Amino acid sequence: MQDIDVKTEHRVTKIDPKEKRIEVHNLVKSQTQWFSYDKLIIATGARSRRLNLPGSNAKNIFTLKDLDDGIRIKNYIDEKRPKRVAILGGGFIAMEMCEAFRLRNIETHVFCRRDLPVGNLEREISETILKELQENGVYFHTQHEPAGFKTNSKGEVTTFETHRASYQVDMVFMAVGVIPNVEMPKEAGVKLGKTGAIKTGFTQMTNLADIYVAGDCCEVFNLVSESWVHTPLGDIANKQGRVAGENAGGGKASFPGVVGSAAFKVFELEVAFTGLGTQVARQYGFDVDSQIIEAESKVGYMPGSKRMLVKLIFDRRNGRLLGTQMTGKEGVARRINTLAVSVHQKMSVDEIARLDFAYAPPFSAPFDPILIAAEQAGKKLQK
Amino acid sequence: MARKEKLMIIGGSAAGPSAAARAKRGNPEIEVTLFEQGQFVSYGS
Repeated sequence: MQDIDVKTEHRVTKIDPKEKRIEVHNLVKSQTQWFSYDKLIIATGARSRRLNLPGSNAKNIFTLKDLDDGIRIKNYIDEKRPKRVAILGGGFIAMEMCEAFRLRNIETHVFCRRDLPVGNLEREISETILKELQENGVYFHTQHEPAGFKTNSKGEVTTFETHRASYQVDMVFMAVGVIPNVEMPKEAGVKLGKTGAIKTGFTQMTNLADIYVAGDCCEVFNLVSESWVHTPLGDIANKQGRVAGENAGGGKASFPGVVGSAAFKVFELEVAFTGLGTQVARQYGFDVDSQIIEAESKVGYMPGSKRMLVKLIFDRRNGRLLGTQMTGKEGVARRINTLAVSVHQKMSVDEIARLDFAYAPPFSAPFDPILIAAEQAGKKLQK
Repeated sequence: MARKEKLMIIGGSAAGPSAAARAKRGNPEIEVTLFEQGQFVSYGS
């Protein structure tokens, strides 16, 4: 018992920073009430973006943000037994859902504006993801601009139309990004940053007195690009939440920022990354070079050893590691954290190549894939 | 007796519950209320 009064099915509809109170709507009783605060924390999160197309209000078009969404999707599949789904979008939520739909034996079609899945990753990584999708029976349709949906008398989508073809489907899943929930705070005078998410600092304060912010609704500092960005991820939200809570309670905590690490799984494939990719690093003015290698996750004769791709992105001027992207069927996600530390510490590829890693055949080769990649990158720098 | 300080938190997914727990731990005297529009809290914590 932590003595925290949790009110579910209560929607906060207004912040009044002058009187230091909030307007709350009880969704069950349909009653509105004002509560006064001394300190306020905004943790309104983000919502799934929905494409505004003809027919896009149909009841078998789903997005996935919270537990309710997940339950809705599961119930629909259990009840209606859809045979074919169209996934709009090619990000990592779309990838994770490909696996989920295929596990339920649903014919899965991904429609993506770009030519490869998870297009913000390096090409080589995205190409590996595409191969994994295809090996698992997912149809990947590139460069389709969604046009709309045809619905039946029950208000369900029967046909998904793009600008060049139409497809009969029983279900649609949209995963085209998220929008921070900032409207209500903005109305109260809470300032937004350039990204459109709520502007904050290292103590999670907003521009208004006694109002803090944390999670997917606000910005976070990227330690590599040294800029405020919107990176809506659950681990960051929890960390920012702790800092906001500590400070709202009278403490002195700060959240220094992130380097941008994440991992996801597509069927058997692990994909993990940290820091900046080539394109973004260029945008921030780094003199970008990269090195990609393929290596075994364990000593080759050990059972379960798998090939992995490691791509290091570094600054040509000083060899500083700016980012890393990896993919493979074993030992990838746990390895990325080593590189996350290296990015945090602004290490050079030469320094990384000389790190003393634990070695035993079941875990890695004497030269770990990270060491091989860093060594190769170092050689490239000497040229 | 002095009035207890009130902390209100809007949102119960990941950041909200983390904030609530930490505020209470750091300052057991503070009164914490967390509002969530959905049925579930903490599914992202």
